[in-house]
Amino acid sequence: MSVRLAGVSFRYPGSDTDALHEVSVTLRPGEVTLVTGRLGAGCSTLLLVIAGLAPHITGGSRSGEVTTLDRDPATRDGRKALAGRVGLLLPTPWTQLSGMSFTVEEEVAFGPANLGWRRARIAGAVDEAMQRFGVAHLARRDPRTLSGGELQRVMFAGVLAMEPEVLLLDEPALELDPAGAQGVYELLPVVAQERTVLLASTDLDRAAAAAHRALLLDRGSLVADGTVAEVLGNDGAVATGCSTTVAEIARAVGLTPGYPLSVADAVRRFTR
Amino acid sequence: MIVGYVAGKSPLHQAHPFTALALAATVVVLAFALPAPQGPAALAVALAALALLARLPRVLLTALGFSLPFWFFLGVIHGLIGETPLRALTVGAQITAMLTAFLLVLATVHPARLVDALLQRGVPFSLAYLLSATLQAVPRLRRQAADIVEAQRCRGLRVRGSVWRRTRAVVPLAIPLVLGALGEVDERAMALDARGAAAPAHRTALEPPPDSTAQRVVRWLLAAAAVGVIVWRVLA
Repeated sequence: MSVRLAGVSFRYPGSDTDALHEVSVTLRPGEVTLVTGRLGAGCSTLLLVIAGLAPHITGGSRSGEVTTLDRDPATRDGRKALAGRVGLLLPTPWTQLSGMSFTVEEEVAFGPANLGWRRARIAGAVDEAMQRFGVAHLARRDPRTLSGGELQRVMFAGVLAMEPEVLLLDEPALELDPAGAQGVYELLPVVAQERTVLLASTDLDRAAAAAHRALLLDRGSLVADGTVAEVLGNDGAVATGCSTTVAEIARAVGLTPGYPLSVADAVRRFTR
Repeated sequence: MIVGYVAGKSPLHQAHPFTALALAATVVVLAFALPAPQGPAALAVALAALALLARLPRVLLTALGFSLPFWFFLGVIHGLIGETPLRALTVGAQITAMLTAFLLVLATVHPARLVDALLQRGVPFSLAYLLSATLQAVPRLRRQAADIVEAQRCRGLRVRGSVWRRTRAVVPLAIPLVLGALGEVDERAMALDARGAAAPAHRTALEPPPDSTAQRVVRWLLAAAAVGVIVWRVLA
């Protein structure tokens, strides 16, 4: 167990409703957990609470118990102990730029340098992360001149270069072209071999294939937790648009719930 | 117009960031301490030559562009109304010299190397980052402003024409710029925090700039020049 939430509620300042309401969940290393829901379901807030950025940066109030790598991320000591051990990738790459790098290489090195690593270790981690995300050829480019997709891969490399034990990804492929998005999602199970990965996404056609487990949130409450097939193949998830295109087609043509999530699933089901 | 770092290989680019900052600080002292108007005027000319030597003529043009409104109003106030044209020349030269010096520092000091230099001297990263981010804020805001101008023009806003029309166009340009910058603050803070900017470890200087004896001598000479001129002026 690397992340545990017990009865966690969170409310943003000025709001009269909970963005998260009585959420209890445990995340384990070695698996990609997908969290999804409709707009305003609380997926991004869940990531911020686990990282300790809510309420530290956002303000607001939290109740319940959050344990990230045996620490409470909302406390000062917890945040210090978790620095660099919890990686967070936000959906918009340009707001994540460090603002002090003139090359991609420096941008990727920003996080590891903040952790006080030796320069040789930083160089190794940066090279490996850039290779992994296919941005090594951009190493000498000014990050401000990159496309949104290239920059998001650079930011992902920057997060991974810190070698976090918990990786929180908020719509990581929002800026990527279809091939780039597919590449990132295919990488997630590999990345998760060494760490806990929580992926907030509404790109369910791709995310479902990359995840081992799924959580479904609805207006801040956790309404389903199980395997991807159990959660996204459920009638309620498909009816509210929180599933894959194949599952929606399957429901539309009158198949029984436990809908196939991909073309391969559908083929297996019809050839059984 | 240049108000940010420009890659180059001039002696100013090669200089230690502290040497460039010492130059700017010395220029400020000399601009006010040297006998007017010939002192500030000579200083402005010397800095113009330095900008040309560093192959940064656009820095010089930017400094002149920013100075021009000051020259105009100083000319009107001191030249036409006050009948003290030498005063206009003095203040104008002081402004031009200081602007040129600061723009030269902005154009030749790599913000990351400045942070590295400060970290080497034990300055906390938060303070060093604040300084570096401030140096880069102007070019970033200019890019955002250009994007907003394009977006508003696509929506029918006319930003060219008479002074009245240009003035009216400022509001729909300024409000999205300010609100956008404020709106990004939370997300930037989150990204920086998640990337260890608040980590308790002392940040590693990635490429600490070399600081030679010659650089230190130049800094001492600049400091001595500033102090020397002040002493000379007080005694005289």
